[in-house]
Amino acid sequence: MREGRVGIGPIENIPTELLNVKIAAEVRGFDPATHFDAKRLPLLDRVSQFALVAAREAVAQSGLEFKASGLGERTACIVGTGIGGENSHNEQSRRFFGDKNPRLHPLTILRVMANAPACHIGIEFGLRGPAFAVSSACASANHAMSQAFDMVRSGRVAVAVTGGTEACVTETTMKAWEAMRVIADDTCRPFCKQRRGMVLGEGAGIFVLEEWEHAKARGASILAEFAGSGATADAIDMVFPAEATVARAIELALIDAGLNPADVDYINAHGTGTPANDPTESKAIRRVFGAQADKIAVSSTKSMHGHALGAAGAIELVAAIGSLRDGVIAPTANFIDPDPECDLDYVPNTAREKPVRAALSNSFAFGGLNAVVALKRAD
Amino acid sequence: MSAVQDTVFGIIAKEAGIDIATIKPDSTLKDLNIQSLDAVQIIFEIEDHYKITLPDRDPNFDTESVKGLIDAVERLVAEKAATPSAG
Repeated sequence: MREGRVGIGPIENIPTELLNVKIAAEVRGFDPATHFDAKRLPLLDRVSQFALVAAREAVAQSGLEFKASGLGERTACIVGTGIGGENSHNEQSRRFFGDKNPRLHPLTILRVMANAPACHIGIEFGLRGPAFAVSSACASANHAMSQAFDMVRSGRVAVAVTGGTEACVTETTMKAWEAMRVIADDTCRPFCKQRRGMVLGEGAGIFVLEEWEHAKARGASILAEFAGSGATADAIDMVFPAEATVARAIELALIDAGLNPADVDYINAHGTGTPANDPTESKAIRRVFGAQADKIAVSSTKSMHGHALGAAGAIELVAAIGSLRDGVIAPTANFIDPDPECDLDYVPNTAREKPVRAALSNSFAFGGLNAVVALKRAD
Repeated sequence: MSAVQDTVFGIIAKEAGIDIATIKPDSTLKDLNIQSLDAVQIIFEIEDHYKITLPDRDPNFDTESVKGLIDAVERLVAEKAATPSAG
């Protein structure tokens, strides 16, 4: 992301004859057989495969061992997904309705259920604390991570494995998004005058949240401090966002994290590239930060990794952590001309070096759900 | 009133939940207070009824009149009739 590399391109993993929009940000060259043995694969929809691969990386990086130490007894596993096992759902529906084959795969239920990713991670690492899925469309990951954070902060658990996962680039999902007329057929250009909508993405982001003193005591390499979160619901419209409640979610995240507006140097925006989101989000940021908003770098990395729905907030947290840890802000790629309705500093096209003390990451979902998380630099 | 106009008026009235008498050819979706979700449903019902595909992104989606929509549907229906293999 710091290189501004765009992962959006022609769809390769599914047939595109019936698609009008033939681009997405797919996970390319992913061979499940290199990650999972043949006996286990029939249980794993692509959405669980992504979650497990990401969880293995996160757990390895954390240096934690859950089983022999007994730490797994005090570890939660909370994973967001907007749709769940969509690929398996599609396959089995095609078999039944298309092929008129009345015999469905006996593991279909276990593949499709939205809590499957969390359960597979829990089984692999022996996590015996609270485990469940959180589903709130495009805010799923931020809601899941906020829930996990609350559990760690309250002392209910010592550690939480959390994030989001989505494998939504299927023919029917693409057609359903096309029908809503909110997806772009060229690329994703958030906050830009020439934007034509969002582009679907897929993938997973999984993190290990550990109680601060617990992590310090073992000399862990701490990537960032998860400082707080804020969530609201517009309760007005299923699709059109409401500036006031979006702004309130941002304010609540600042309050929860003990941050002043002047402490925030970067916001990873929801920035879908739709006509409705980008001006509303910009105005909401302006409403909270006032003139200070001009000093904040705001970028939408969806311009590179697409909109991975229930995984979006987790993938975007990587950009927020990168800004805190490395002092590099990932850009808004594909940017041409600014939209007069969007008047913030969107870090167009090229990454920027800038020390970041605190960062916010926004996610807003259909249904009018807003979830914002706040991170601080770990120092 | 053409048959297409009849059908399109009927679909708009049903999907938007408005009285068909309030719809005029020069009404815009905005005049009729039709929200975006209703608009995409109207487009879907029209496409499904005639088995046609309206332009994927219409820049005048919010401002174009019902007459413009009817013209587009009539044009696509005529094109479809001229090429019976399509659709």
